[in-house]
Amino acid sequence: MSHFNLMVAYALLLAAFFAILWRRELREQVKLFLQIFLGLVVGAIALAWLMYPFPSGPPAPIP
Amino acid sequence: MVDSSNRDVRSPATSATSATVSLAVVLAWLVPGAGHVFLGRRARGIAFFGIVLATLALGCSLDGELYRNLGQPLQTLATLACAGMGLPYFLLLALGYTGDIDAASYEYGKAFVLTAGLMNVMLLLDAWDIARGEKE
Repeated sequence: MSHFNLMVAYALLLAAFFAILWRRELREQVKLFLQIFLGLVVGAIALAWLMYPFPSGPPAPIP
Repeated sequence: MVDSSNRDVRSPATSATSATVSLAVVLAWLVPGAGHVFLGRRARGIAFFGIVLATLALGCSLDGELYRNLGQPLQTLATLACAGMGLPYFLLLALGYTGDIDAASYEYGKAFVLTAGLMNVMLLLDAWDIARGEKE
């Protein structure tokens, strides 16, 4: 799996977990699920976009 | 519920014996979601079981580390987080699973494994609250 797919899978599992843990009504659960899931994914993409101008440095040496 | 003297008063229906509370907490620790099923929250318990095990399975498929050292402070915390998942943790230890530090996906897998353990710790606390009548 790619880095992005793993991040999406992590966000999905975490959002589902907290939506069921913290909310009782289905409508509220869906709302919290979307908030957490989109917050994690969109937040990570936004952070990556902000970090884009910074140099990543030379590649790490292969041991 | 609060009476006129401002004391916390629970109805007999929501109060639980300490044995029930203890059993719910132990079950919640041993098997993810079992505490909720025991307390009558069957659908939620099954959902939690699926989510925690899916997280753990993904972590193991990525060769994430299953901590088992109690030497250094950070490793102790990580071991406690992993052990929070209950029986699956000891089952994986018995099967000889430790993770593979040389795997490219090791760090990702570690995050998933630690998250699975911490999820179950939260379920344990939730089951405790429900058993004591503090939460629905």
